[in-house]
Amino acid sequence: MPTIDVNYAELQHMLNLKLDNNLEKLDDILAYIKAEVKGFDPKENSLSIEMKDTARADLWSVEGLTRALQSYTGQQKGPKPYTTTDKSDIEVTVDASLFDIRPYIACAVIKNIHLSDEVIKGIMHLQDKLDHTYGRSRRRTSIGIYNLDLIKSPIKYTAVKPETVEFVPLGFAQKMKLDEILEKHPKGQEYGHIVKAHSLYPMLYDSQGQVLSFPPIINSNDLGKITEDSCNLLIEVTGTLHKTVLNTLTLITSALIDRGGKAYSVTIHYPKDTNNNYTQKSPVTPDFSSKPLELSVAETNRLLGLNLSAETIINLLGTAGLGVEKVSDQYITVLVPCYRVDVMHQVDIIEDVAIAYGYNNIEPLWRELPTTGKAKADQRYIDIARDLMIGLGYQEVLNTTLTNTQTLFQKMNQPPSRLIELSNPKVITMTCLRNQLLPGLIEFLSSNQSVEFPQKIFELGRVTLPNEAEQTQTCDKNYLSAVTTHPNANFSEIKSTLDSFMTNFGVEWQIQETTHPSFIEGRVGKIIVANQEVGIIGEINPETLEAWKLENPVAGFELHFQTLIDAKQNNPHK
Amino acid sequence: MVELRAQEQHLLSVLSKQECSVSVEQLVQFCGFPDAAVMRNALSLQEKNFLTIQAATQNIIKLTAEGKSYAQTSLPERKLVVAVAELGGKADLSQAAKKAGLEASFIQIAQGWVIRKKWALYDSKTNTLTLNDALLHQMVVPEGCDETLLKYLGEKDQAVFDDLNGDLKEATEQLKKRKLAVVEPKTTRILKITPEGIQAVSEATLAVPEVTKLTPELIITGKWREAKLQKYNIEAPVAKTWGGKKHPYLSFLDEVRAKLVQLGFQEMTGTAVEASFFNFDALYVPQDHPARDPSDIYYIKDPKYANLDNQTQTVEQIAQTHENGNQTGSTGWGYKYNLEAARRLILRGHGTCLSARTLQSGRYQVPSRHFSIARVYRPEITDRTHLSEFNQVEGIIIDENLTLKDLLGVLGKFALEIAGADKIRFKPDYFPFTEPSVELSAYKEGYGWIEFGGSGIFRPEVTLPLNVKAPVIAWGLGVDRLYMMRNEISDIRMIFNQDLDWLRKKQVN
Repeated sequence: MPTIDVNYAELQHMLNLKLDNNLEKLDDILAYIKAEVKGFDPKENSLSIEMKDTARADLWSVEGLTRALQSYTGQQKGPKPYTTTDKSDIEVTVDASLFDIRPYIACAVIKNIHLSDEVIKGIMHLQDKLDHTYGRSRRRTSIGIYNLDLIKSPIKYTAVKPETVEFVPLGFAQKMKLDEILEKHPKGQEYGHIVKAHSLYPMLYDSQGQVLSFPPIINSNDLGKITEDSCNLLIEVTGTLHKTVLNTLTLITSALIDRGGKAYSVTIHYPKDTNNNYTQKSPVTPDFSSKPLELSVAETNRLLGLNLSAETIINLLGTAGLGVEKVSDQYITVLVPCYRVDVMHQVDIIEDVAIAYGYNNIEPLWRELPTTGKAKADQRYIDIARDLMIGLGYQEVLNTTLTNTQTLFQKMNQPPSRLIELSNPKVITMTCLRNQLLPGLIEFLSSNQSVEFPQKIFELGRVTLPNEAEQTQTCDKNYLSAVTTHPNANFSEIKSTLDSFMTNFGVEWQIQETTHPSFIEGRVGKIIVANQEVGIIGEINPETLEAWKLENPVAGFELHFQTLIDAKQNNPHK
Repeated sequence: MVELRAQEQHLLSVLSKQECSVSVEQLVQFCGFPDAAVMRNALSLQEKNFLTIQAATQNIIKLTAEGKSYAQTSLPERKLVVAVAELGGKADLSQAAKKAGLEASFIQIAQGWVIRKKWALYDSKTNTLTLNDALLHQMVVPEGCDETLLKYLGEKDQAVFDDLNGDLKEATEQLKKRKLAVVEPKTTRILKITPEGIQAVSEATLAVPEVTKLTPELIITGKWREAKLQKYNIEAPVAKTWGGKKHPYLSFLDEVRAKLVQLGFQEMTGTAVEASFFNFDALYVPQDHPARDPSDIYYIKDPKYANLDNQTQTVEQIAQTHENGNQTGSTGWGYKYNLEAARRLILRGHGTCLSARTLQSGRYQVPSRHFSIARVYRPEITDRTHLSEFNQVEGIIIDENLTLKDLLGVLGKFALEIAGADKIRFKPDYFPFTEPSVELSAYKEGYGWIEFGGSGIFRPEVTLPLNVKAPVIAWGLGVDRLYMMRNEISDIRMIFNQDLDWLRKKQVN
């Protein structure tokens, strides 16, 4: 979830609200836009606000936040209008070679803006949030801001061979080749993977051949450096989705307009290609127009369980910061402001109506429906088995299903078997899913060497096994494992426990001599039910005990309990 | 009325018959009890003030190895004098010694003692021994005190010096000098009956025999009637017994399951490994969404891809919806859908994939209610508030008439039934797959406010491609927070903790 930092004094000033230090009151207001205060630093007077709605990129700046809240606090009803003052003299031409790399660009010009240190910080913060979350870490879109006064139109957006270009990247003093930037510049290291898959890299030049930037990696240190002295800016967004590129430009430009800047449009010239790859040939950006959306009154009432008139709905739409174009009996044409980039469907609008109406003003309803509750089919047998093991004096334990091969194999003195491993483990103790329960129980014992003996524990839980016949290439099975440890723990004791369990569960079983490296030779057997091997039972090998630093003998079993359940379900009378 | 146990009674009566103090060793002989039994009874009688026990040092006389061998036969001088007598009262020394069977080295000693004891005279010129006149007329040479003591010690093994009469005391010195006996000091316990004890012997009734252990034999033979079961010190500490019990967290989930079943929900299950398609795509989470970053979801190394071959139609519907909204009335996400990303296997990051599967299967009724208790996974570094593996309780309700009111109602019902909440409040919430979405906070006296659950109505982009026409409410409960609160746990890692002591002592609630 995006978290934005805002200056508390500034927020109160912009909202024209005196909140003092009543953060709860602020939380109540923020609830309208699904946000809440996560932290407050009184020294910096800085608020950290978490946005639950990851789609509402319009809220990720203090300007956007206040714009949204002002309508709920009654300061401004309906959408806030944005316009461009005029066309700028900047034009951009796009090279066809970019189509498979990063095909779209949108630009705007901002003039006469006063950039204080605070404003620059705020804009950088918004740029960062948009790049990271809405721009999917610059894969989908990335923003560049330049000193307009240094740029000569037309601008060329093109793709180049990496070794042919060099320039001074932002924050550096020397010219660097593009590959060198990917290798050495911190931004190159962070985002280089986005362009590396291609043989050509995107570049922005002005008509003089000066480098603006190497999108989406880094600006030029000469043209792409913004200071408090810059008052005319060029804003550029490149990306892979046209709509998202336009939306991103709208979001960043509107924030600059809110800061006192005047916006001028830029014409983009896409290549004339035979494939009709580009639907719009010469769009003018930014596009601040509202998008009309048909809202059905009936559908609104049906979804909310209310009986609102069209008038009431229109009023609520205004509270939610939305506009209305026209109204008929059944439909309202809602004007969705340009910055509401999250709206995809009328349900998004209906929710805004409900929020404006107030969730706590709606009577909750628990509908009596003729449905029958039922636990999963296995649950009955799982519960019986757990009760039996508890009756036999075993404490139930709960281990994670994520574990590691050291625990499952090496420390159990057994060779690795195939299992489900993670490609991106976070810690070395959790690299795969367990395919057996016993190692987890032995690990459990090793953490309890100073606890009173005898220790008897069991777990009935799921293991994951590879299975190519299944859609997910795996199947989960319920296993049951138990161990006993104390100075006199031995095979007879655990066999007696298993036998009691089997008798009470109603399963006839046999034991068959076998060898298993985790167990002592001659003290280990296969558990056989209906001529099928369903587990293993024995005394743990001292080598394994030593590996786990266990000082008492351990006897235990692992039972493929699912097989027993399945047999019961196929023949419940047995 | 004094009541004595049989052994006590016996010991006390034996003691009352003795004129003086008696040592434990002596009592062992007199009573015929083993040493420990004498001590045990003596201690209990001392507690009752019937006797006193005092430690005293006694000189104990014991035979040496040589002494023991003479005790079995006789002293060499006696052998010699007997031989002389048999030879007619006067005999050559060497001849007599030969007859007596004395070894050469003992002749000298025997001769010396015969003379010292005035049993015979020795003529060195003729080397003959002649019996003393006084003995000549007697049939037997009288036994000396030394011989009496030797015999006694031979039989009894030891004697207490102070118990001997004057002659024997002298004899002790003799035997000591001859290295036939040693005298060693030894601490012994001396028992002495008190006047109360003497009275008790006469008055006491014999108690029923007391037994520590009620044996099967006592029960079967009926002898328990004559026995008295010894009283225990019931306040004495005992060893702890740890039986088995359910794991508190699983027990809590059992309770949640029971509640949900009671409310008419049926349980859904699925595998921990899931196709991205069901975890994300089917829930309208775009393929480039940050929730699918390797930092937010676990990917499976091998196998990498699910088999969605028998789902091609659903996949196509959902692909279209993502790209352009298809028939759902939505704009869609506007990107190019990728089948490989859909098939990519992951560890499920939430239980909602089970709801998607239920809807996709078409095997549900309208109306119906479903729930799952699913182990889910996120690549988190575990700390007090985060686990990389935890459980989610969530589900769906399908009915033609569902509205936002039901959304609030289902959460309200759960808060009441499962958390026992006193107050509830709703807030707008966000899930990528529901609209509208609600968060419920529940207030419970003593606990305060907790975020208890969330719910929403599935977006048309979710339901329509799965061919579901009725509204579907999706809901989820923050059960871990509730569990922690109820069990006064502030660290979420306690759910999977491996502390047996904690589990054993954990109160069941």
